[in-house]
Amino acid sequence: MSQTFYRKGFLALAVATALGASSFVQADLKIGVAGPMTGANAAFGEQYMKGAQAAADEINAKGGVNGEKIVLVAGDDACEPKQAVAVANRLADQDKVAAVVGHFCSSSTIPASEVYDEAGIIAITPGSTNPQVTERGLSAMFRMCGRDDQQGIVAGDYIVDVLKGKKVAVLHDKDTYGQGLADATKAQLTKRGVAPVLYEGLTRGEKDFSAVVTKIRSVGADVVYFGGLHPEAGPLVRQLREQGLTDVKFMSDDGIVTDELVTTAGGAKYVDGVLMTFGADPRMLPDSKAVVDAFRAKGTEPEGYTLYSYASIQALAAAFTGAKSNKGADAAAWLKANPVQTVMGKKEWDKKGDLKVSDYVVYQWDKDGKYHQLEKQK
Amino acid sequence: MSAANKPLDIKKSAVDAILAGLISLIVFGPIVGVVLDGYSFNLQPARVGWLVAIVMLGRFCLSLFLQTPKGLKILQGFESTSSGVHVLAPDYKSRLRWIIPVLIVIAIVFPFFANKYLLTVVILGLIYVLLGLGLNIVVGLAGLLDLGYVAFYAIGAYGLALGYQYLGLGFWTVLPLAAIAAALAGCILGFPVLRMHGDYLAIVTLGFGEIIRLVLNNWLSFTGGPNGMPVPSPTFFGLEFGRRAKDGGVPFHEFFGLEYNANIKFLFIYIVLFLVVLLVLYIKHRLTRMPVGRAWEALREDEIACRAMGLNHVLVKLSAFTLGASTAGLAGVFFASYQGFVNPSSFTFFESALILAIVVLGGMGSTVGVVIAAFVLTVAPELLRSFSEYRVLLFGVLMVLMMIWRPRGLIRISRVGVTPRKGALAYERKAP
Amino acid sequence: MDGIFLQQLVNGLTLGSVYGLIAIGYTMVYGIIGMINFAHGEVYMISAYLAAISLALLAYFGIESFPLLILGTLLFTVFVTGVYGWVIERVAYKPLRNSTRLAPLISAIGISLILQNYVQISQGARQQGVPTLLEGAMKFDIGTGFVQITYTKLFILLAAFVGMGLLTYIIKYTKLGRMCRATQQDRKMASILGINTDRVISYVFIIGAVMAALAGVLITMNYGTFDFYAGFIIGIKAFTAAVLGGIGSLPGAMLGGIILGISESLFSGLVNSDYKDVFSFSLLVLILIFRPQGLLGRPHVAKV
Repeated sequence: MSQTFYRKGFLALAVATALGASSFVQADLKIGVAGPMTGANAAFGEQYMKGAQAAADEINAKGGVNGEKIVLVAGDDACEPKQAVAVANRLADQDKVAAVVGHFCSSSTIPASEVYDEAGIIAITPGSTNPQVTERGLSAMFRMCGRDDQQGIVAGDYIVDVLKGKKVAVLHDKDTYGQGLADATKAQLTKRGVAPVLYEGLTRGEKDFSAVVTKIRSVGADVVYFGGLHPEAGPLVRQLREQGLTDVKFMSDDGIVTDELVTTAGGAKYVDGVLMTFGADPRMLPDSKAVVDAFRAKGTEPEGYTLYSYASIQALAAAFTGAKSNKGADAAAWLKANPVQTVMGKKEWDKKGDLKVSDYVVYQWDKDGKYHQLEKQK
Repeated sequence: MSAANKPLDIKKSAVDAILAGLISLIVFGPIVGVVLDGYSFNLQPARVGWLVAIVMLGRFCLSLFLQTPKGLKILQGFESTSSGVHVLAPDYKSRLRWIIPVLIVIAIVFPFFANKYLLTVVILGLIYVLLGLGLNIVVGLAGLLDLGYVAFYAIGAYGLALGYQYLGLGFWTVLPLAAIAAALAGCILGFPVLRMHGDYLAIVTLGFGEIIRLVLNNWLSFTGGPNGMPVPSPTFFGLEFGRRAKDGGVPFHEFFGLEYNANIKFLFIYIVLFLVVLLVLYIKHRLTRMPVGRAWEALREDEIACRAMGLNHVLVKLSAFTLGASTAGLAGVFFASYQGFVNPSSFTFFESALILAIVVLGGMGSTVGVVIAAFVLTVAPELLRSFSEYRVLLFGVLMVLMMIWRPRGLIRISRVGVTPRKGALAYERKAP
Repeated sequence: MDGIFLQQLVNGLTLGSVYGLIAIGYTMVYGIIGMINFAHGEVYMISAYLAAISLALLAYFGIESFPLLILGTLLFTVFVTGVYGWVIERVAYKPLRNSTRLAPLISAIGISLILQNYVQISQGARQQGVPTLLEGAMKFDIGTGFVQITYTKLFILLAAFVGMGLLTYIIKYTKLGRMCRATQQDRKMASILGINTDRVISYVFIIGAVMAALAGVLITMNYGTFDFYAGFIIGIKAFTAAVLGGIGSLPGAMLGGIILGISESLFSGLVNSDYKDVFSFSLLVLILIFRPQGLLGRPHVAKV
């Protein structure tokens, strides 16, 4: 049912935006929410929209930002760089947004952020973890999540220290995000003296990975690390198990943080024991309890990036309020200097726009198809 | 046809509508009515009801309409096979004489009124015009089905990115080089392949397009893989368009004492692109009147006859293939500098299909049609953006309807007939 | 090592037989009206959804035995997908029967966009899946290693070959098959001899869709997951298989599929999976250069 709820909300939003654009432009603070609303990763775009809408509603109920109501403008990039640039230009020029929450795929965020930078718009991405997003000297690009290199270090250390992996196979999905992560993990593993015995790419959209699985079998790997998203991770882990590799540990990243992993793996049985790195679950934090309850009361689960998106809107609202200006540059300067109390706890940003504290931890899926944060290992 | 005078047979239409309703119930029932949710499902019968009702109503109206004289005429249109080229009288004066100057004036005036968003949409449109024109030579004129056209586009775009990264080449140096490189690639691919029967060319080019994309994606150390590569902005006699010039240079706006405006870069790309499009249009216009252009079309219409007449079909095809490829190379350079970033996901098969759709929708071989279709297909998704999730669906419906309505494209190819010169061979050319 | 090699062969064989089933749709349609039906991959995708829907419905009504589940799913999926095949032909290709060669191609691309987005809108963008129906696997010990084949994969191989056999029988020995072959050889002549060629073309689309539906059920059972975008990659692969084996030839489609599957599997097993698609497309280009009609196709003879 969440599907229909979202859809109706989305339509209402589109109508509201259209009305807003025509009648009372002056009194609104427009914030673009850009991400894959269509295409293979549309699930994450939905999470973005859901979180951002809830946050905007709450802030508006409390009187808005600098006396102005937040109005969200959705932008669909379908995780394609070309569309991302077009959407960014539209948000910047046509809709004249003051800020953007987005994008999702790092390969979209990177070109789009150039556009926002030129237009002087502050942007904050809830989910793009590629280091390049903030490494290019842009002054108003922030992120609400960690970076792949941080995540890779956590994953690599965990494999060496806890799983005691001796022969590690590192796979990725040949995309900016997955490959970046796999590279970071590989680097950390090599640093710790456990160079991967296998390093290969899969093709996104394919479902048959039996050849690669057989290869994993032939090199005798005891740990498989996969950098990528759940549509590939699910079949991969299932095929590993089906070819008799039942005690090989499978570890992945924050791209599989969705209940759909269970569906893609063909049942909870197959995801049992799957490990992944993800920011400390925002739903577990005391700060988020009220918001999470509000979501659940409406019948939706704020999974994955929903709360990240929520927190991004909060951070932007705080920055605009704090800087007492609706200019991106002022808000960016304020955000780099001041901490913000968000639904995900207190957040601080460094000069590049990265979070000062990354909170990647390891999670494990259980036999009922739920994931739990593991106790911090020493 | 006496049917034209008959009264409308409402009963027949009603039966048609009920049949259509039944079929749409089978078709839409499961997919629309039963929404999967994990391993269980939610029933949504109302949506099916609406869809079936719409289909029935639509079928009923269509069935009634097809019984009217006008409808019968349209029905007959489907039965007939019309020939490819429409020949006009020798003294025919095309309306295009007026349209083209008007379009050029609009194109010149346009940037003064456009904001950056509009400007970027139009630049994208012009890039597709360029691609459409190039593929039009291959598919429209020479009749070679190329499903991997995007490979040459990628060669142009990556030519700029790689040339800048490794050789320090700029926009202006790469522009001709990319055209040459793409032409070369076209030549190498085309030579063995063009001996084959037409449909095999389609799959081989498709394979080539995929190979290029996969290599770009996988060769991480050279092309940056899926991360893509940055592309420099074009320069104007060494002046940069950025807010701050790199390496202590003077940016364009400071040199001319203008206020910084992010539009200038796009304005510049727009102007250069527009000039290139005009040039390509002109070249194409001349080529179709040269022997080689005539040979392309002759080969498209009947290959066996051409070979019997002594045309070297491989060379003629190769020339079309190469020219088309080089145009795509040009377009690639513009695309790369417009986006400021290239990565392999811009060069998928869908892109090839889109360009092919431009050529076919525009009317194969027709230049004006291609220009219009390129704008329709690139601007329409942007306009439809407010429909958000229905955008691509509508785009698909548009493609199918256009094909049914105008299978030969928006604008049919027409040639002005030839009047013999005085004193030349005294024969009368009859329009077929 | 030999266990590993054999395992790769088995992997390739199952993958290839699935490619082959979908390739049949391409090859038959091409054979009969000379058109590349780009929407065929999407027909497979629809059938995957239908299979999951039917499994969910059957489970809801409390049916749990494997034979009943699979039979019910197959019947339902095959029937509805067949109707899809018929409707697509009727709506998008039939009005274009007499127009240029490229018009139906564009219309097919349009249809594939429509189907993808129609499914996305009505079912949502999420990944879908079916629970594992057949548990367990067979393990063969060979020399130093072993080969493990799940029962699902065995079932796929079996079903694919039964499906192929049935189709070959229909084409070779039934009246419908004779009509199809006659239409393929010369449409005008066939219609003069009293064959309703329009209807035969419709049948061919339905047969293609039915084979895609069979593949859809099998693949969904094996991998357990799919989304609205699933038809694209597998469609291109199957099309490649059809051309590789000689487009227009039924055994060619199956052979092409198996060669493609095995070569992908062996290449990614022995060399590198990053470049397996580059390898299979290069293989295709090479075969076409030296044998332009494909492996089992008849050479193209132009008639004047």
